[in-house]
Amino acid sequence: MDWLDFFQSITDGLLFGSIYALIGIGFTLIFGVMHKINLAYGAASIAGAYVSIAVAAYVPLPALVTFLIAAIASGAIALLIYLANFRFIPLASPLATLMATVGMLILIDEVVVHATDGMPQPYPALFADIYIEWGDFGLRGDLIFIFVLSLIAMVVLMFMLYRTRLGIATRAVAQQPVAAQLAGISLDRTNALTFVITGLLGGLAGAMIGASVGVLSPLLVVPITVKGLIVCVIGGLGSIPGAIVAGLAVGAFENFFLAFRGVTERDMYVMLLLFVFLVFRPGGIFSRSVARD
Amino acid sequence: MPILELTSLSKHFGGVRAVDELDLTVEEGEIFGLIGPNGSGKSTTVNLICGVLPVTSGQVVFEGRDITGRQPHRVLAAGVARTFQNIRLFGYLSVWQNLWVAQNSMEDRRRENFAKRWFFGSGAERDTVDEQLEFAGLIDKRNELAANLSFGEQRRLELARALAARPRLLLLDEPAAGMNLEEVQALDGRLRTLQQAGVTIVLVEHVMELVMGVTDRIAVLNFGRKIAEGLPAAIREDEAVQQAYLGGNVGTMHA
Amino acid sequence: MDFFFGLLQIIGVHTILGLSAYVVLQTGQVTLAQAGFFSIGAYVSAMLTVLAGWHIVPALLVAATAAGIVAGIVGFPALRIKGLMLVVATIAFGEFIRLFWFNFDYQIEKKGIVVGPQGGEGFKQIRFFPENGWSTLDVAIFIWVIVALIMLALWWTDRSRAGAVLRAVGEDELAAQSVGINLTAVKVGAFAAGGFIAGIGGAIYAHYTTHIEHLNFGVMLATFAIAYPILGGLRNVFGTLVAVIFIQGFLVEGLRFMGDWRNLLFGALIVLAMNVQPRGLIDERSVRLVRGLFTRN
Repeated sequence: MDWLDFFQSITDGLLFGSIYALIGIGFTLIFGVMHKINLAYGAASIAGAYVSIAVAAYVPLPALVTFLIAAIASGAIALLIYLANFRFIPLASPLATLMATVGMLILIDEVVVHATDGMPQPYPALFADIYIEWGDFGLRGDLIFIFVLSLIAMVVLMFMLYRTRLGIATRAVAQQPVAAQLAGISLDRTNALTFVITGLLGGLAGAMIGASVGVLSPLLVVPITVKGLIVCVIGGLGSIPGAIVAGLAVGAFENFFLAFRGVTERDMYVMLLLFVFLVFRPGGIFSRSVARD
Repeated sequence: MPILELTSLSKHFGGVRAVDELDLTVEEGEIFGLIGPNGSGKSTTVNLICGVLPVTSGQVVFEGRDITGRQPHRVLAAGVARTFQNIRLFGYLSVWQNLWVAQNSMEDRRRENFAKRWFFGSGAERDTVDEQLEFAGLIDKRNELAANLSFGEQRRLELARALAARPRLLLLDEPAAGMNLEEVQALDGRLRTLQQAGVTIVLVEHVMELVMGVTDRIAVLNFGRKIAEGLPAAIREDEAVQQAYLGGNVGTMHA
Repeated sequence: MDFFFGLLQIIGVHTILGLSAYVVLQTGQVTLAQAGFFSIGAYVSAMLTVLAGWHIVPALLVAATAAGIVAGIVGFPALRIKGLMLVVATIAFGEFIRLFWFNFDYQIEKKGIVVGPQGGEGFKQIRFFPENGWSTLDVAIFIWVIVALIMLALWWTDRSRAGAVLRAVGEDELAAQSVGINLTAVKVGAFAAGGFIAGIGGAIYAHYTTHIEHLNFGVMLATFAIAYPILGGLRNVFGTLVAVIFIQGFLVEGLRFMGDWRNLLFGALIVLAMNVQPRGLIDERSVRLVRGLFTRN
């Protein structure tokens, strides 16, 4: 095996993995606050990116603004998801919420298919013409851009969670919902805001997926959802640093297998490994011990 | 003859010693009180005996047999049943079904083969459930969902469910919590009836009227350790016990 | 008429798939591996009828048993995990099975043509029904006899103590263990039974479509498997049937005139249904309502 190729594929994977990290953070945040899964999250992320190209089709925009629009649109969709799937369904019916988000996933997916006739849409790439080389080793400009933008988003998120009132309220609700309510924090508003925050992150991730793949397609929704869930559980439910590490790891791992094993067999072993991992390390990579309860 | 013996039983959660080198002997036929301030390790002890939590070290011996670390259903099969501090009924099952699924005594198991036991239940067993409901005073609620019962009725159903497997040792985790005086007195009577029927009872409780009145012996836990053991009257006078309840723990004593 | 029988076949197979998830959901476990077990039933039975020349009935039973065994084996490790972990772990296992078929190549020559599963190309020419002269009506009857048998068995189980035990485990695992229920046996048993039923569904599916490939057995199919019982309600087996008729009969076929607006409505209706009836279409409330209609006059 060529070491250079090895490093090249791992590096590309790590850079792309930052997108997975963002999606994983979205799942993990919602789980942390509400102890629920939002299966429509991946769909909302891709849909946000779609909205941004729809806007860009009418008004010529710099690519960065397109990204921003994607984030905002996805934030709005996330709020809608909260209202339609979480707000009014009783806490005691977790299956109902789960199913409702599946319905929402299908709905969003179909809206996208309906609006685009199912045709993949080209997405503007950023810095795609830049390529930094050291001999045979190189870095794609668009991937570096994605990585940097993800890092910025994560830093902003961390700042918000640990330094602002809103963030502290969110964490309070995640840890002690009843006590938080007694302290005057509105559960409903905090939950809604958490959804908007995850939506913003997701929209950004959706736009970056579009930019790095080159096209947007409704076919991206299910794989992104599955990847996001995987990252979220490998990282440990509710752990943001875990999701970041897991996202990068999944990106690197995937790219490595892609480069050296070919697609068909790769995924099969990856899935088996994942199953084994989850069974024997249900707390994620950062869990201290394997406890049964 | 001792029915239950705990030998230097310990449970550590990380650095916290929830139960620490606990030695306890419960004699057959007695009502044994286990008291202590909040967080003193009473519920943890129950969970260790029942196999809900893995034991860090030490031994649980029931009727001379080591049952340490057995899974909960096997502990029940050995003859130890329990109730929970916060009632844990099957809320969306009917009252009747709650008892039906609990008919797991050894005699029940031996009497019927697999198919008959689980899929083609016989009428005899249905009569047994009805009798138990009658005894618990819940026969006219038999088709009600357990979640729709009143608090007192839920407590009674949970007790009936624990008794369904005809255990020889019954662990009650704060059965009087939230009860009014009248209900506590009714419970007192029920426990004495059970004792006469030959069931040994370990009573984990905060409500002192009940504990002091009904128990034969009491052990007091604090910070996972046993700090006193003896007759109720002696415990009431014990200085270490008063210290544990009052010193630094004012407000946690519920009676 | 053939359209109608075709629809009956689809509803039948999806009902079986939904019931396979119903058993597992009753124990409180959300599984997304049912599509994988369904695919085992499909591939194994098709290999038995096409390659080994078996009759469909024994092929179906053997394939379902294989699916049940694999499901039981999955059930053991899956005991350790719950909730979202189990969802993702079962997705992973389901995908593993699907990708296994994607890589599975085994063909032999039969009567001058090469048949057998062929990796990504899928498994073509599963022609047991046409070769033996079964009409679409015959096939529909065959399917519905099986559906009826499965429903009867599960309906009976629901009324037996085994059914109450499944629900008790679904409600509160710790309390169930404490009244003497062997959690391992119940959960693994439910997984195995669910796998067996899914295997039957898959076997039938393979034979009426005559061509299967790994893409038929993805995460979306697994999602539908749990969607039917959740949407219909876990109170009884008829909820699942109602949900399948509602989705496959009404939403997918009945609203065909609406073009692709139909799919939009599909998602929206699921969201709406779960808001209005969080415990499923057939829950305690709706049952009481219907009973009230018949008893009042």
